[in-house]
Amino acid sequence: MGALNGLFGYAFLVPLLMVASFAIVGLAGGRLKRLEWGGWVAVAFSGAAMVVGVLISVGEMLSPSSYTNVQYTWLHLPPAPGTFPNGFELVVGTLVDPISALLLLVVTVVGFLVMLYSIGYMHHDRGLPRYYAELSLFLAAMTGLVLANNLLEFFVFWELVGVCSYFLIGFYYEKPSAASAAKEAFLVTRVGDVMFLLGIFLYFSTYAQAGPAGGWAANGFVFVHGAQPFVPVGTGNGTTLTIAGILILGGAAGKSAQFPLHVWLPDAMEGPTTVSALIHAATMVAAGVYLLAVTSLFLGFTATDSLVIVAIGGFTAFFAATMAVVHPDIKRVIAYSTISQLGYMVLAIGAGFAMVGLYHLFTHAFFKALLFLAAGSVIHAVGTQNLFQMGGLKKRMRLTAAAFAIGGLALAGIPPFAGFWSKDDILAAVFSQLGSHPAYWPFFLLAFAGVFLTAYYIFRAWFLAFSGPTTRDPTLPEAHEGPWVMQVPLVVLSGFAVVAGLFVFLPGFPGLLLNGAGVAGIPPHYGTTELLLSGASVGLAAAGIGLAWFLWGNGRVFVLPESSPAQPVCRLLLARYHFKEAYDWVGLRAVYTVARAADFVDQYVIDGTVHGFERAFAAISDRLRRIQSGIVSDYAAYVVAGLLLVFVLLLLVAPWIVARLGGS
Amino acid sequence: MLPILSLVLVTLLVGTVATFLAGARARWVALGVSAVFLAEVGTLFAQYPGWPGYVNGVPGFADGQSVPWIHLGWLQVNYTVGVDGISLIFILLTAILQVATVVYSWGEERRPAAYFGLVLLTCLGCFGVFVALDILLFFLFWEAVLVPMFFLIGYWGGPRRRYAALKFFVYTHVASIVMLVGLLALAFYSGAASFDFSAVYAAAPTLSPVVQAFLFLSLFFGFGVKFPIVPFHTWLPDAHVEAPTGGSVLLAGLLLKLGGYGLIRWAVEVLPEGLAHVRPILFFVAFLSIGWGSVVSLAQRDLKRMVAFSSINHMGIVLLAIALGSSLGLLAAVLLMFAHGIVSGLLFMTAGSVHHTFGSRDIPAIGGITPTTPALSTMIMVGSLASLGLPALIGFPAEFTALLATWNGLGYWVMIPLGILVVTASFYLWMMQRMLFGPARGVPAEAHDVPWYEGAGMGLLVALTVLFGVLPGLLVNVIVSSPIKGFPGT
Repeated sequence: MGALNGLFGYAFLVPLLMVASFAIVGLAGGRLKRLEWGGWVAVAFSGAAMVVGVLISVGEMLSPSSYTNVQYTWLHLPPAPGTFPNGFELVVGTLVDPISALLLLVVTVVGFLVMLYSIGYMHHDRGLPRYYAELSLFLAAMTGLVLANNLLEFFVFWELVGVCSYFLIGFYYEKPSAASAAKEAFLVTRVGDVMFLLGIFLYFSTYAQAGPAGGWAANGFVFVHGAQPFVPVGTGNGTTLTIAGILILGGAAGKSAQFPLHVWLPDAMEGPTTVSALIHAATMVAAGVYLLAVTSLFLGFTATDSLVIVAIGGFTAFFAATMAVVHPDIKRVIAYSTISQLGYMVLAIGAGFAMVGLYHLFTHAFFKALLFLAAGSVIHAVGTQNLFQMGGLKKRMRLTAAAFAIGGLALAGIPPFAGFWSKDDILAAVFSQLGSHPAYWPFFLLAFAGVFLTAYYIFRAWFLAFSGPTTRDPTLPEAHEGPWVMQVPLVVLSGFAVVAGLFVFLPGFPGLLLNGAGVAGIPPHYGTTELLLSGASVGLAAAGIGLAWFLWGNGRVFVLPESSPAQPVCRLLLARYHFKEAYDWVGLRAVYTVARAADFVDQYVIDGTVHGFERAFAAISDRLRRIQSGIVSDYAAYVVAGLLLVFVLLLLVAPWIVARLGGS
Repeated sequence: MLPILSLVLVTLLVGTVATFLAGARARWVALGVSAVFLAEVGTLFAQYPGWPGYVNGVPGFADGQSVPWIHLGWLQVNYTVGVDGISLIFILLTAILQVATVVYSWGEERRPAAYFGLVLLTCLGCFGVFVALDILLFFLFWEAVLVPMFFLIGYWGGPRRRYAALKFFVYTHVASIVMLVGLLALAFYSGAASFDFSAVYAAAPTLSPVVQAFLFLSLFFGFGVKFPIVPFHTWLPDAHVEAPTGGSVLLAGLLLKLGGYGLIRWAVEVLPEGLAHVRPILFFVAFLSIGWGSVVSLAQRDLKRMVAFSSINHMGIVLLAIALGSSLGLLAAVLLMFAHGIVSGLLFMTAGSVHHTFGSRDIPAIGGITPTTPALSTMIMVGSLASLGLPALIGFPAEFTALLATWNGLGYWVMIPLGILVVTASFYLWMMQRMLFGPARGVPAEAHDVPWYEGAGMGLLVALTVLFGVLPGLLVNVIVSSPIKGFPGT
């Protein structure tokens, strides 16, 4: 059974291929006669990686199983009293199971398409070998993360995708804003990473002794497979586990840009649009969601954790959508949308439906990458990201306009496009849990309201960019479609954005989402209530699109009157609720002021004391110098005094000290 | 069987003398000596699979050799050397940094014979400290290190070199005296049969806990100033800023490690009960150093000074790991020191190259150097990322182990070093943002990328940073499976 399952042992080839691509392009790319050739090398390698990735995921669909391979003792740690009485080995290896196959499919397919698209999109740029090398390294780290078989290995690759993201956000490093955004992204996610690491320690020390079948005790952080997590979602107790779950959520919030660590993602749009599509929409930012899913499947969250996760996810879904409503920058609108959609996924996992969250992760990866690449196509053509300068582009860019529209419909949740199925499942899933805790209600309602905003903001962007007679800024260049390398990914991703939601009806695919457990849960049980809910959400989405058309359609530009009571709200949204200012104030002003003060103390108080001793010794030695008077009777007096002192020390003080100390 | 440790000492001694006399060819002689040194260390590692079989002469140590030296009644001083897994790692570090420093300093024009001779002499002293198993021999090498470093700073250093050299010498010398008194008191009070480590180790448990605690504190002060611990650290930034690049590399890479090694070997292993009594003091000092080093780094304008303060932060984590008193903590401390030796060596080299290339190390005054000096810029990135603990680089396995050991030993106190990791990341990233990225600023028109020898010296360290970051087991297995005295249960 499962002719393709033999491949599972070779899953390590995927990251290895991309490491090879990184090495070749990085070392030799600059010496090639034409710099694009390095790009074609990367395309070839990511194509090969995609073939392996797709075959593995098909294999998992045909016969779900979990397969661990390539065990290598990365660190052999000695015993420590207390938690780790026997010492332990940290083993690295690859784990192929249904959910990692799902992610592998997403990462390799989108990765390949983005590589291909880059050939056209990036051809003007200097530093091409650096670009393709870093993107290859990113894909290596991301596939490594997906295939990690234990939390520590997961963390290692988690950090590596983070640093690749850092370099790619700062790809145009001559621009101060890009360099600053890269730093911001690294530091904000670092806050989450620190929490994640502590969470790992907590889980590890909890399970090191209590794990099933000695799996944890012997192998440290290995994900042990079983039908049930150690603590089934929402049922566990224990303060340590609750704290551990919250810390893991902190890590996920950093990576997936959830409130309050969301600030970096919009600024990360300083990177090339291809990078935004791959890293900041489809894959890396979804790693946080994947982490939550993996944790809920293998480790389990307590009831308190679930509530906090629902709160963060539900609030972020709405909160980020509000900022997308007013933004003039096409990429940032999509970036806020990404934060919001990740919030939906987090919400689903918090409600106990990891499979639904992963389902949305899957569909979202395709339609969001599509939206970014379509936006990239527009930016490539007109050279601006400001929606208010664009307009009327659908005449000259039919393919791009259609692709963006398909992506928009999928995002808005209009049937039968991909987003409808998964977003609807999330709402139904959370709805089904409303009875478990009354506190779920507000977050469900926020998520529901977010549906309207989502449809509105994405079609506002579409109408602003594509509808109307002509561009609002006449100085923009004549728009044109990109070369075929850019068009092919748009077409392929459009196809996915239409059909990806229907994948659940394929036999075997739900198994990927459910990690092989044969539970009938996808789509959740549909009764009359769920159908009504579904109808309501589609109605809301349609209303959002309608409002967008009313305000922005046919080249209209809606201007909020100065006297409108909504003006302060609008300004607050444009200012992104002042989060960035607040963080800058803490990071740049407060911490830096403390650092300056500490530096002052270091130089003038601590080192000043040292100088004080220096001067004191100089003064004392100057006095002592005068004792050497050259008069013999003086010296004789010193000798007698010295002898007396020695006698006192030896006869009285020393025995007393020895007696007190009890020494021999 | 060859007494290989003594052979190394002879090699380095003869090599140093030869280098001093070699005149213009000194760099070649120094390189040759370094190559022989590296080969000898390689031989040591090659014996490693048969580890227990090589324990001879000195119990618990490999390649041991003990020869009577000064025997006057109760004064029993021996020439005793030997290695265990811990000292082996430090010996490897010494050999690596010696080669890297010699290669990096290839272009030294001012009295090269004296310069390379002093570099070799410093490494000789450090090697001696790492293998000496007799109090007097240990102290001899310990003090021998100060002299060449004093001259390296005082002659080849920056504008305030005299002040810095004197401060370095007096400050650490005072600490050495305290340490010597502590060691001698330890030997005499415990009634050890000789000054040998094994004799002192065997006799120390007879001391009362209070005496052990006081002795431990005096040793801690002596070794701690070398770490350096806050508030006895102010000699370090001055010495680093004024030292020539090679001097800085050895200072940060090896001299700071003497403190850590000494504390493990002569205090923690010999006086575990003393440690148990004063542990809270060590924890307090460690947390203070971790926080202080990192926060003050953030305020620095001089690249070298920033790296110097980051050393205080990293050595604070080392102290924390040592103070935990678990074998996991000891492993972490040794790994951290090795990692810090490689990475801070690399960072000080980059700081030196920045100074040569741009005529300044002032971070706000230089900007956007990446297009001009891509290789140097890459080295700075690797060094910074390794220092802030990025996985796949050498700092991560060490820091991870240290934090895990801290969590195991101290529970939620681990949040202090964990939280400081964010500050550490921020000062490195901010430096990179200002110096490497953005529009070019303060870049002379004639500036070009680093010369080959500087690139080779840094490249060696970069390669090792990646190698040991990906495969930390290469080091850990050596440490863990050797007969280490301090490791409970082994």
